[in-house]
Amino acid sequence: MMRFQRFPTAPARLVLAWRAAALVAAALIIGVLLALSGRNVFELAELVLKSTIGSRFGLEDLALFMTPLILTGSAVTVTSRIGLWNIGAEGQFYLGAIGAAGVGLYMPGSPLLVLPAMAIVAMLCGVAWIAVPTLARAWAGVNEIITTLLLNFVAGLLTYWLATGPWRDRVTGALASTGRIHVAIPEMWGVVHWGFPVALLIACGLAAIMTWTSWGYEVRISGANPGAARYAGMPMRARIIAVMLLSGALAALAGMFEVAGTVHRLQGGMADNFGYLGIVVAVLARRSCLAVIPAALLMALILDAGIVLQTQQLAATVVLAITGLVLLLIAIGDELAHYRPVAPAIRPATSSSRPEKKVTA
Amino acid sequence: MAEHDIPAGITPPSVPPGTPPVLQLVGISKYFPGVIANEDVSLDVRSGEILALLGENGAGKSTLMNVVTGIYQADAGEMILDGYGVQFSSPQEAIRAGIGMVHQHFRLVPAFTVAENIHLGWSETPKNASSAILEARTKELSERFGFPVTPSARVEDLSAGEQQRVEILRVLARKARLLILDEPTAVLTPTEARDLFRALRAFRAEGNAVIIISHKLDEVMEISDRVTILRGGRKIGTWKTTECSPRMLAATMVGREIVRQNLLLRSENAAPRGTVAELSLENVSVRDDRGVNTLADVTLNVFGGEILGIAGVAGNGQRELTEVLTGLTAPTRGQVLLGGSPAKSGAAAFARQGVGHIPQDRLHSALAPSLGITDNMALREYGQPPVGGDGLYRASAALALAREIADVAEVTIPDFAMPVRNLSGGNQQRLVARREIRIADRVLVAAYPSRGLDIGAIATMHRYFADLRDQGVGIVVVSEDLEELLNLSDRIGVLCHGRLMAVLDAVDADIERIGLLMGGRTEAPGAGMAAGQGADLS
Ligand SMILES: Nc1ncnc2c1ncn2[C@@H]1O[C@H](COP(=O)(O)OP(=O)(O)OP(=O)(O)O)[C@@H](O)[C@H]1O
Ligand SMILES: [Mg+2]
Repeated sequence: MMRFQRFPTAPARLVLAWRAAALVAAALIIGVLLALSGRNVFELAELVLKSTIGSRFGLEDLALFMTPLILTGSAVTVTSRIGLWNIGAEGQFYLGAIGAAGVGLYMPGSPLLVLPAMAIVAMLCGVAWIAVPTLARAWAGVNEIITTLLLNFVAGLLTYWLATGPWRDRVTGALASTGRIHVAIPEMWGVVHWGFPVALLIACGLAAIMTWTSWGYEVRISGANPGAARYAGMPMRARIIAVMLLSGALAALAGMFEVAGTVHRLQGGMADNFGYLGIVVAVLARRSCLAVIPAALLMALILDAGIVLQTQQLAATVVLAITGLVLLLIAIGDELAHYRPVAPAIRPATSSSRPEKKVTA
Repeated sequence: MAEHDIPAGITPPSVPPGTPPVLQLVGISKYFPGVIANEDVSLDVRSGEILALLGENGAGKSTLMNVVTGIYQADAGEMILDGYGVQFSSPQEAIRAGIGMVHQHFRLVPAFTVAENIHLGWSETPKNASSAILEARTKELSERFGFPVTPSARVEDLSAGEQQRVEILRVLARKARLLILDEPTAVLTPTEARDLFRALRAFRAEGNAVIIISHKLDEVMEISDRVTILRGGRKIGTWKTTECSPRMLAATMVGREIVRQNLLLRSENAAPRGTVAELSLENVSVRDDRGVNTLADVTLNVFGGEILGIAGVAGNGQRELTEVLTGLTAPTRGQVLLGGSPAKSGAAAFARQGVGHIPQDRLHSALAPSLGITDNMALREYGQPPVGGDGLYRASAALALAREIADVAEVTIPDFAMPVRNLSGGNQQRLVARREIRIADRVLVAAYPSRGLDIGAIATMHRYFADLRDQGVGIVVVSEDLEELLNLSDRIGVLCHGRLMAVLDAVDADIERIGLLMGGRTEAPGAGMAAGQGADLS
């Protein structure tokens, strides 16, 4: 009889294999359910494939989705490396968007000056937004999960207020949105703007910092065992502060890219859950800054496929259920990756002292 | 407690002939990648006996017991419980069959109370019970089995001995008939150890069985009925304890005779004892969060080229003393001088100035258990070349460093990326010790350095200390084992209630005198050493 046993670690290879299996299983389940409800599954599948990875427009859309997801995913991942969770990427995203829009709307000048100013102000706003949870965590040990989460709602409302109030579009009178910003991140490939390669570079850069610098080493030790970090005299508080502020800046940069790259204005609700999806991306990436990239790709695929399905008269709730199913199966796959077969107990031929076995339990 | 205090009923009960052993292992093998942890091990333990399991660090003792309790599955061999073959795929199955284990590293939930920990994951826990009910049940259990605990206390506030009682009670409450203890006395005070042994004898008297793993041969001689020895994962043999001597056990375990050296003898070209203190405390007090002085007005000098022993019952300020000496805690009052000038604060600054630290609880404070061996070995040197420098962390240099440390520590490691918690307890300790010795140019502070080490490794470690002393490094050894201190130290300080009762020259010290000081008795009035003055004899 083959026996399986749970191990505390899951090798990356097994995780990948199980996740692939999870995706296949999800596709099968969804296919069967859709077929049962009388849809032509193959047509739908073809359509989804064509409008995601099978066509130029699909690929462009994917890249556009991936850009903010990579940044918010990185934001959550860097905090997870020191054992913390920034649940507030959504709020910091909004603050980044606000900062960027403020500069973009009111600062005259050439894009060469305005764009960097937008990015810097955006990141400063994100840093300011996470500053209170950071200080509360570093000095008073206040759980950052709750503080960062609560600030998301404030940030969302602040964005609505600005977009419908003081900064509202007085030219076209559009609802819940500011006027168009006069500068934009240049496009490099269709509608894909330069924010996409920059986001990729940032993810790679973060991975390099975490692996190859003594700062990254200190973050790694502090996250794995704060007791050991204290013992080695590492400046833990400084590291916590730095990592959390960095996280806020990354999420805010995602907001700036959205404002300056795709939306070109500040809009209520524009974060579109990218902050929360960043948490999902981080969970999929399992603390690896580099793995954020494929995780963001997977998330973007799911989002994109969902939109395609919605155009085919599938209710938004069905799409949400499908997303949930995929993530659930992946989580199960991750858990299964902890199990490995162990050889069954074999009776050694050499033993002679063995008594008669009466019953096998 | 002396032997004659034991009531008559506490000797092993006689078992009718023909009764199968409680547990029998036949040809058990367990392999890890690159390591033979156990191979073809057969042993049995009978009802009404205490079996000691001995072996060097990494001999496979913990692994074998983890196989018995279903944490690991054997790659070959079988287990026979009361004459019936069994297989466990989880510790829960093992405990249902009456086999309970208390691990080398405790597995309680620190934030939970004693009562909650006892009832956690237990089928007999009443549903939706209030904490009052759980505490009452715990109290009743504690009285029934003779392990006094405070049901409402939080586990994180308990001493090691108390935590261990909770672990044992947890197992006994689930009706264990075979109790497995992995190095139970390593973290206990001698009094706590005696209490434990008394309870174990009572447990045995009821026809139950115990397997105990220990590196302390005197204890093995005292408590066990039979001894089984492992070496390199294989069984060497089983003996009746009455036919053994500590010396014979040690030689069988290690495979060679262990020669006791006179460590107080200095080598010919040894550096002379320093005249200026390398590290000194001046009227140092430490107050904890509750406002209690855990260290009170301690004045102490550590000179180069000497070994200073610190004696005392655990919990009398040892932790605070080592933390102050290594820069982990800043004193509330008083001053710490390093090389004659006020020390820069912070553990990292102390380490940079040549103060090494082997802490009390290695796995939780000196290592990051989930990270690889390489990362763990770089902990002290990641800031300077070759591993560090220019803000970089050079993984290949860190690996080379880890290899070097593992080599001198004589630990074979199949894979340096493997989490350090996969190493045996003793091997973790060896690596930490070597890592700290490397950086200790000035002073090495070692808290209970021989905990968890086998006899041979203790001898080697003591030899390292002596060599380090001969190179002119000052060494502070905190220990409860007075014999260890007397064998090593040039001077011995005694702690009691956070006060340094006295610092004796080893030649004037004997166990009795130290014992009195440990108990808080001051020196005879005429001697002119009032308690707490921290009088320094040098
Ligand atoms: N999970 C694991 N993965 C890989 N190797 C392991 C694992 N657990 C134990 N080992 C290896 O198996 C060997 C035996 O370890 P074990 O912990 O049983 O030793 P031990 O006899 O209890 O030693 P000690 O007295 O030091 O506690 C060691 O070489 C150890 O590194
Ligand atoms: Mg062990």
